[in-house]
Amino acid sequence: MSQEVATAANQIVMGPAFWIATAIFILAYALIVSEKIHKTIIAIFGAALMIVIGILTQEEAFHSTDLGVDWNVIFLLISMMVIINIMKPTGCFEYIAIKSAKVAKGKPFMIMAIFSTVTAVVSAFLDNVTTVLLIAPVTLLICQALELDVVPFLITEALASNIGGTATLIGDPPNIMIASKAQLDFMAFVYHLTPVIIVVLIAYIITLYFIFGKRLTVKEELRQRVMAMDENEAIKDPVLLKKSLAVLAVTMTGFILHGMLHLEPATIALFGAGLLLLVSGIKDPNHVLSEAEWATLFFFIGLFIIIGGVVKVGLIKWMSIEVLKITQGNLLGTSMIVLWFSAFASAFIDNIPYVATMNPLIIDMAKQLWPNLSGVELLHHPDLMPMWWSLALGACLGGNGTAIGASANVIVVGMAEKMGHHISFKKFMLYGMPLMIESVIICMIYVWLRYYVLQI
Amino acid sequence: MKAKDLMVPIHDYLTPGSNLKEAVNLLKVGERGDQKVGVMGLPVLDKNGKLIGMLSMTDILKAVYPSYMSMMNLGGFTWDGMLESLAKQAGDKKVEMLMTRDVVTVREDDFLMECVDRILRKQVRRMPVLDKTGKVVGMVYMRDIFFAITKAMLEEDNGGGK
Repeated sequence: MSQEVATAANQIVMGPAFWIATAIFILAYALIVSEKIHKTIIAIFGAALMIVIGILTQEEAFHSTDLGVDWNVIFLLISMMVIINIMKPTGCFEYIAIKSAKVAKGKPFMIMAIFSTVTAVVSAFLDNVTTVLLIAPVTLLICQALELDVVPFLITEALASNIGGTATLIGDPPNIMIASKAQLDFMAFVYHLTPVIIVVLIAYIITLYFIFGKRLTVKEELRQRVMAMDENEAIKDPVLLKKSLAVLAVTMTGFILHGMLHLEPATIALFGAGLLLLVSGIKDPNHVLSEAEWATLFFFIGLFIIIGGVVKVGLIKWMSIEVLKITQGNLLGTSMIVLWFSAFASAFIDNIPYVATMNPLIIDMAKQLWPNLSGVELLHHPDLMPMWWSLALGACLGGNGTAIGASANVIVVGMAEKMGHHISFKKFMLYGMPLMIESVIICMIYVWLRYYVLQI
Repeated sequence: MKAKDLMVPIHDYLTPGSNLKEAVNLLKVGERGDQKVGVMGLPVLDKNGKLIGMLSMTDILKAVYPSYMSMMNLGGFTWDGMLESLAKQAGDKKVEMLMTRDVVTVREDDFLMECVDRILRKQVRRMPVLDKTGKVVGMVYMRDIFFAITKAMLEEDNGGGK
């Protein structure tokens, strides 16, 4: 095999185009990490540079499946954002959160456990940041009512959102990106990731009990403040709520069936968004559409083009050859490296650019290993599948490691700061890192057991 | 008429370093013209007498209003005593953290219509009046402009009957 690898390496022309594209790529990533300039601005400028310099043609950047913008990801994200933005004013999220606090009977650890579980479940279907933005304000209110320190609650919710987001195709951007590149459908994620995430979540809640179970107490009269809240008051627009839930049900059914229907997830989401816009009776869609997170969307667009540039010049292929040299073609070893490396990389850098780079890298690696295969046969090679799952698990769960590992973490730290509670990088890591390592160990055992021992 | 003809001279002002408790005390006894009736907002001046902000009633409401409440619809889930306990906590906050920094001002020679323009565009009820050197010399209140409007209207009514 080493001979094959060597021939492949010879095909990469390390000329000026290679070095220019590599320089743009490295510079862009370094600037994103430094946070000196907003990441979206860097991504847009870097992408434009790739085209202006001629590394990519505009045709390739806008329309090529291998090199250009992955519109499947963009449209899935936009559509889900539109659905949430229409649902938000109905009050359903406030209802769920207040109801959860009452189900917990205002008992602090129960609130933490139920809020974390609810956050994880909601995150499996909505974007993690959105979920945290919906649950955190209510958490702050409940903690104020119970006169509790809100910091542990906010941190545990952010971690739970990253765990829950890993469970499905639509839960977290890395999964959306992996699904699109590897042509994996919604049910594949349910079948391969949801089981292990349920185990991770249970282990997480048990661990939280050992950390916080005995420490959190609250006075009886304060509990009454929470018990006196009427969650039904949260529902502001019951008609729109019913319509939204119906459309959501249709959309979810669509996701479950999309593989069978031969429709892309983005098509399903776009249909859901279109249907909800139609039935909601919204006269002017401007407001709902402008509330979509355009900065995030353009970050993706720019990133896809930058990655397209370095894929075209062969940098990613070169990297994949180097990875294979290290692992010597040992697939179990490669899976484990992908899992752990992804986890630690995502703990410190944004997992979106990370996965955007890893996707083509894994595909290039597969091309080296099975040069005769192509298309779905290559992408779904039984020996390659554990690689995709390891990447998804590592990249999503790794976000829990530090305060900057995932957008949800950044959001809760910011919210806490606004409320006058400073969460230092060290303090977050004290909770996040051990819990991340715990979850990745569970995943490591899972990947090893399921794909290499039981081979199911 | 110009802003300076309508403005009320001020003698009290706030400093950025004082806390909200002190500021509220000053607002309570603040002079409006010659009467110590209390005011709903005062300019904040730095050591050199330069205008750096305004602290008004809205800012003080915002000081006790938790930021999470504005993020979602949570008004129905508050409790008796919540405002009072948050008000006590807010007493130590510094004026410079709470004041509106982007102050809407008028110059003393601005015409009254310009004052109305500012009030309606920026949704304020009072504006510091600056002299040519940029020093605060008084305040123009929405209420006094309203009185100027009523006066003009009634005068014209009398005159217009000829």
